[in-house]
Amino acid sequence: MENVIEVRNLVKKYKEIIAVDNLSFSVREGEILGLLGPNGSGKSTTINCILSLLKFQGGNIKIFGKEMTPNSYELKSKIGVVFQDVSIFDELTVYENIDYFCGLYVKNKETRKKYIEDALKLVGLEDFQKFYPKKLSGGLLRRLNIACGIAHKPKLIFLDEPTVAVDPQSRNNILDGIKQLRDMGATVVYTTHYMEEVEILCDRVIILDKGKIIAEGTTDELKQRASIEEKVTVEVNNLDVRELPKIKDLMNVLEVSYEDNLLLVTYKDGKNNLVNMITYLKSKGIDYQKIYSERPTLNDVFLELTGKELRD
Amino acid sequence: MTVFKTFWKILNKNKLTVIIYTVILLVFGISNMKTSEKSMNFQAEKPDIAIVNYDEETELVKGFVQYLNKNCNVKEIENNEETLNDAIFYRDLNYVIYIPENYTEEFMTGKKPELEVKSTGDYQASYAKMIVTRYIQMANIYQKKISDESELVAQVNEVLKNEAKIEMTSKLDSNAMQKVTLYYNFASYSLIACLVFMIGLILNSFNQEKIKKRIIISSENCKRHNRALLLSNCCYSLIMWALYVIVSLILLKDIMLTTRGLIYIANSLVFTLCITTLSFLIGNLVNNKEALSGISNVVSLGSSFLCGAFVPVRWLPDFVIKIAHVLPTYYYINSNETLGTMEKITKETMQPIITNTIIMIAFSIIFIILSNIVVKTKRKIG
Repeated sequence: MENVIEVRNLVKKYKEIIAVDNLSFSVREGEILGLLGPNGSGKSTTINCILSLLKFQGGNIKIFGKEMTPNSYELKSKIGVVFQDVSIFDELTVYENIDYFCGLYVKNKETRKKYIEDALKLVGLEDFQKFYPKKLSGGLLRRLNIACGIAHKPKLIFLDEPTVAVDPQSRNNILDGIKQLRDMGATVVYTTHYMEEVEILCDRVIILDKGKIIAEGTTDELKQRASIEEKVTVEVNNLDVRELPKIKDLMNVLEVSYEDNLLLVTYKDGKNNLVNMITYLKSKGIDYQKIYSERPTLNDVFLELTGKELRD
Repeated sequence: MTVFKTFWKILNKNKLTVIIYTVILLVFGISNMKTSEKSMNFQAEKPDIAIVNYDEETELVKGFVQYLNKNCNVKEIENNEETLNDAIFYRDLNYVIYIPENYTEEFMTGKKPELEVKSTGDYQASYAKMIVTRYIQMANIYQKKISDESELVAQVNEVLKNEAKIEMTSKLDSNAMQKVTLYYNFASYSLIACLVFMIGLILNSFNQEKIKKRIIISSENCKRHNRALLLSNCCYSLIMWALYVIVSLILLKDIMLTTRGLIYIANSLVFTLCITTLSFLIGNLVNNKEALSGISNVVSLGSSFLCGAFVPVRWLPDFVIKIAHVLPTYYYINSNETLGTMEKITKETMQPIITNTIIMIAFSIIFIILSNIVVKTKRKIG
């Protein structure tokens, strides 16, 4: 598979602050790449540099094998971008908005008409064509925002947190749409803070922090790299907190916490952790309502890699 | 074409504003013209007077009353002090003349007796006083030469019968010119309001940071996109100008199809282009649609009041006129006023209009340069 994007040694500084620090990565044709990172990690800056919206101090960026510059109109015709903020005209209807943004790429009226219909179908806005944005709900607006970004059938699509503040139904619709785009041959760079979306959608994930790549791979690969191997959750009322250090001393236990009647025990390794926990609880005469075991999620990996402290 | 179409769609969404300002122009423009029609036709109105004669029915008194009957509305009112006072108070009479006892006798002996009067003090009363004074002064002059009362009255009547004839050498239809000037002066308000608000609004939509980002990353050449936007704005301005010219042609077609009328039209075209550049500057400077509405009102109303679009410049205080010099509207209105009073169109008489046109073009160039500076400053990327 060819690389659609190749970023080599990218450096972007804002005065003294290094936003992107010698970043190198590539995106393969037809994949959905998840770009993750806490706020201020350099995700948006990286995307803006790739799109030539920002000048950068070092490195080079190639898209479809060609260097990307502000005047690379041929390259730009193959790219679609869906920004986090809904970027549409309030004065135009749903159809007119898609028509305008598609018209920036596709000049042929007939082709454009067909593309608009396809985009409307993809995001499920066929019944809202004549609606003005003010009449649309948050979810529908997000879907319109996506339609405006992808109507011209780009080969490379950047989606910057397209599901922020969207209800579950709209989110499902959006995620299905993105999968369809990939199935139609598009390469997608997807940034989000929702880890479950990444697990559902992304073929590969890059986790950025402080302008650097701190982890890269498939979701399974990343999970394997985590020190947590298993999580056991026990629903138990009024647990004596003096029991917590004793549980911590059990075999393979990494961390123990008790909050809202939920005892959460993470294990770094080992087998029969769940059975061992049940045996321990019985031996201590602790009654519990539920007990279950889970594999670590991408969220656990993300928090482990980037830390739990709050970011701006 | 996409930009052009989108421009008109956004404009169409806000067409009510254009309609409102055009209706304002039509209503106030036409009513202004009607007012000018009245103010340009002068017809003397006879004052209402009453005569109370305590003298005898002498030839002098008869001649005087006859003269007053000819020039005033002499009303028959009961010779009662209270009734006369009421008539003056309620403006039924403007002037009451009391001819005292032995007036004729004293007058003929050269004593210059005084007439007693009561007056409302308004301009009609002043006019009545002027009529009375003219007769008495004339009689006084002839009394020195003619001792016979009948002959004196005949002579005075003969002289006062002659009226001075005034022949206007000017061929200028000042009434019609006044109408055109008023219409085009007022049109400046509607034009500024329509152009500044609409162009500003549309530029605001296209200049939204998020929309701009999408345009920059698209395969559409940014320069071509901006050129299309500029042409759309100019097209809109020209349509607005043409609309207002057509209205003036309908209302004042005979005058508008003369050389002078065409100069009015040309002047308004230069002004329209100047305001288009100003609208560009404002549209690029202001990023808030709500603020834009306020700014367009301040600019249109402010410049119209300061530069004499609503109130003629001659009635404005000097300091206001000085301030108005920094606004293009002043030069546009000045050209209209000059055209309205210009006797003949020659190279010399056209000089002030040419100067005003050059100043308006200079304003346009300044606005374009400032707009470019603003656009470039905003476009600077990280």
